[in-house]
Amino acid sequence: MALTTQRVDVPVIVDESKCLEKCNACIEVCPLDVLVKNPETGKAYMKYDECWFCLPCEKECPTNAITVQIPFLLR
Amino acid sequence: MLNVNDELKPWVEMLQSTTVEDRLVAVKTLQYIGDESAIAPLIQALKDEDTNVQKIAITAIWELTNPIAVKPLMGCLRSPDPEVREEALSALKELIAPADLLMLLDALQEDNFYMQLNVLILLRKIHDAQALPYVIPFFESEKAELREAAIITLRYLNQVETCPPALALIDDEVANVRRETTLTFGYLKDEEVIELLCEALTDDPDWQVRRNAAQSLALHQDSSTISWLKKALTDEHWQVRKFSARTLQTIADESVIPTLIKCLTDEYSDIRRDAAIALGNIGNPDVLNALQQTLDDPDADVRIFSQRAIDKIQQQQTALNQ
Repeated sequence: MALTTQRVDVPVIVDESKCLEKCNACIEVCPLDVLVKNPETGKAYMKYDECWFCLPCEKECPTNAITVQIPFLLR
Repeated sequence: MLNVNDELKPWVEMLQSTTVEDRLVAVKTLQYIGDESAIAPLIQALKDEDTNVQKIAITAIWELTNPIAVKPLMGCLRSPDPEVREEALSALKELIAPADLLMLLDALQEDNFYMQLNVLILLRKIHDAQALPYVIPFFESEKAELREAAIITLRYLNQVETCPPALALIDDEVANVRRETTLTFGYLKDEEVIELLCEALTDDPDWQVRRNAAQSLALHQDSSTISWLKKALTDEHWQVRKFSARTLQTIADESVIPTLIKCLTDEYSDIRRDAAIALGNIGNPDVLNALQQTLDDPDADVRIFSQRAIDKIQQQQTALNQ
């Protein structure tokens, strides 16, 4: 899978101010394992630019920190 | 400390943390693990001061589907937070069983608007006529939402055929209450019900009340309603005309033929189609000419059902002549 270089362009956007350091909910539910924790900040981010837009990460986040931007043609 | 296994222990301890973030992580993890032995700490989390923790705890308990959680979840129905109440109600809709009826009836006596409203909704899942004496007082409630919920619940109670205290709601000042009342009247067999439905069908200022009245009259199939339905076929709202034509499909009467023929030229295709079906059910060969003119209707449905109505009348005539 391709590594993400520009984090602003990825479809799964994590609001770091809301993301909880001890929480792994989004990482656990992602079927493609594309979300990981940033070891420096402890916040989740999209490491691999691969997404099925299945949305459990957005739904399971206890603080609503995740937004999945679904491409126009898939809406 | 609650009796839990080693995997759950750190998360159960974290649930007692003073920081909301920790408690959120703990309750989310317990939901994710989905272990039955976590039910007691999750029930405790229902009383957490943070509504997000409460909400996740409700979802986690819901997923465990353990009936011991019914009573604690009932407490969430009086929460001031609408999302907590909604989540608890959704969970209880699945968890509630007929054995919980007495508990629900006790909760209905509580002087709390949200609790009463939600319990009235939950009673629809149990369908028990024993609840009727407890539902009736809500017909006179000052709050329109409670009157509306009570009249809807009435139509879900099995074996209830008459309920005189409900009749006054047909004149309620709130349109929503009258809409639900007319729908409930379809299932009641009180003597006055048909007359009240007929009056609502033609006189109510709200078109949805008039439409629901026509819909309920179809369930009664009473021939005394024909003159009212005939009048409703010329109603200003198309849905009232449509449901009146539908009701007339079940009560075949020759006196409505001229009005039904006029409906064959209505601007709405649904009404033209339902009128054609009703004319076919009446079976009078005099309408064949009118039906044949609708065979070139721009709407395919109208053409199909007109042809069926013509075939039906012709078959009846052939059978009579033989």
